Amino acid sequence: MNIYTKVERGRYIDSLETLLAASILNEQPGLEIGYAGMATEPFKDILADICLLTEEIKGCDGSCYVVAARAESQAAFDAAVAAVEANLAPKQEENGEGEDLPKAYPSIKAAVEACPRANLCSVAVPGEYALAEVKKALNAGLHCVVFSNNVPLSQEREMKELAREKGLLCMGPDCGVANINGAALVLASVNNRGPFGICGASGVGIQHVAAILHEAGSGVSQTIGTGGNDLKNEVGGIMMLMGIDALEADPETSYIALIARRIGDQVEPAILDRVSRCKKPVVAMFMSSDRAAVERTGAIWAADLDDCAQKCLRLIGKDYPLETEAQIRERAAQVVPCLAREQKYVRGAFSGGTFMDEAMHTLVEGIGPVYSNCPLKEQWRLPDSHRSVCNACVDYGEEEFTRGRPHPAIDPGVRRPAILREAADPETAVILLDFILTPPGHMDPVGFVLDDIRKAQAQTAAAGRQIVFVASVLGTDADFQNVNDQRKKLEDAGVLVCKTNRRAAMLAGEIIRQKQERDQHEL
Amino acid sequence: MNCDKILSLFRSELITVNVGPKLFAEALEKQGYQTVQVDWKPVAGGDREMQEILAVLGGLD
Repeated sequence: MNIYTKVERGRYIDSLETLLAASILNEQPGLEIGYAGMATEPFKDILADICLLTEEIKGCDGSCYVVAARAESQAAFDAAVAAVEANLAPKQEENGEGEDLPKAYPSIKAAVEACPRANLCSVAVPGEYALAEVKKALNAGLHCVVFSNNVPLSQEREMKELAREKGLLCMGPDCGVANINGAALVLASVNNRGPFGICGASGVGIQHVAAILHEAGSGVSQTIGTGGNDLKNEVGGIMMLMGIDALEADPETSYIALIARRIGDQVEPAILDRVSRCKKPVVAMFMSSDRAAVERTGAIWAADLDDCAQKCLRLIGKDYPLETEAQIRERAAQVVPCLAREQKYVRGAFSGGTFMDEAMHTLVEGIGPVYSNCPLKEQWRLPDSHRSVCNACVDYGEEEFTRGRPHPAIDPGVRRPAILREAADPETAVILLDFILTPPGHMDPVGFVLDDIRKAQAQTAAAGRQIVFVASVLGTDADFQNVNDQRKKLEDAGVLVCKTNRRAAMLAGEIIRQKQERDQHEL
Repeated sequence: MNCDKILSLFRSELITVNVGPKLFAEALEKQGYQTVQVDWKPVAGGDREMQEILAVLGGLD
């Protein structure tokens, strides 16, 4: 195989499109490995890592669009490039032609001049450029939702201080979820409107609570994602404090839910003080905070995301029953007799860190150490993320998997190889999966992996074992993918589907625990 | 804090200026919300030195 390249000077392809291009490229026949993007220094570093950095590309700058691949022939490379172009081209036509389609403007200033009623700016540029664009948007009077990540904390603070000075929202950087006026922004789910305002530093956390409120027949007034770093000491919780102010003042919000994984020690007193002065009922899921300290503020303490949603619903006299421990034990007892002697472990393949963390905390309670590429304890780190040992969970949203590909929430192909690989290991008893729905995401994330699930079931059956799949789907029936349709596809394929990620982890852990018990009895 | 501008956003029709991948604007349009796309490119083709010169000259809007 030889290295082939294509360089186009002066053509700009945005970061997500280049990632999708790289995904498409790597699925083409006759290619060993390929990568595409603007020839920035980080891009060249990746090419060097995968041995595709040629002298020609070294000489390119950030204004060049480059496709590079190790391919069996020039013809195979050309065909692969054509396949990528076929996927990029329609969007460019849409943008340039057709008078009724919206035009693209060269700057935020030009966009606001053309559309003075614009009131929000969604920023998803590489992190190094985020501050400049957010400042332009705030100075133009736009509230911001910032998906860009890898923004230095000092810059995050700078943009949030400017937002506060102007009385505008700056949700993010690294904000994955926000629902404003009924719109699902960035990677949020589509939700019903209702009396709950949510402000949180965990995108999946907000999405999870909002989805349960929706499913129980209620909904959200607004959800404000602050970005995961907002509550760090360096940033000072600026957006969480503003979010509480806004939701308290909003006449459509009757109840407030607050979600945070870790709050900086210097920030926590200010947050708790603000909560104690809040005039509306607050349910707080502050994972790292002391329960008594939270309860002293007058807020309702929530132990986890499921509990947070359930305690919100209790405020309006509704209930959303989740699987009980007894039901989980019973469900586990039905499948444990089908497991072969050597099947001992659960293998989790997750599309993001929040749910994997939640699952690992849940599993550890019942079955002890869980190995991972992002472990709860350093001694549980997997030496190789592609080779699970014992009970293990892998986050496929981590950079080692998403370098050169979009996040698994958008491109489920990142996680795909895990299913057959884990199933091939005779020690695997349970494969635990999460699925997350969002408007910009894959239109059928479950359908995308169903063939592999069936293949895994057939291959293990042929080897005299039965593999158990346990899964949960986060989303709503208002999402384009419809959470109920996605769950049904899994159930039809024999997957054990739980209502939430935590319940799925409880079931997976219980199966392993009962299996250990059975093995001990047999000894 | 004065929340007037945020409450005004909550009462208005949402119109989003999208800076970055069109995928996000398309997702909003599919939900029935108006978007305005900015054809974002790194200033000076990503050339760091040129960006600093332009910033000093006030060339960055």
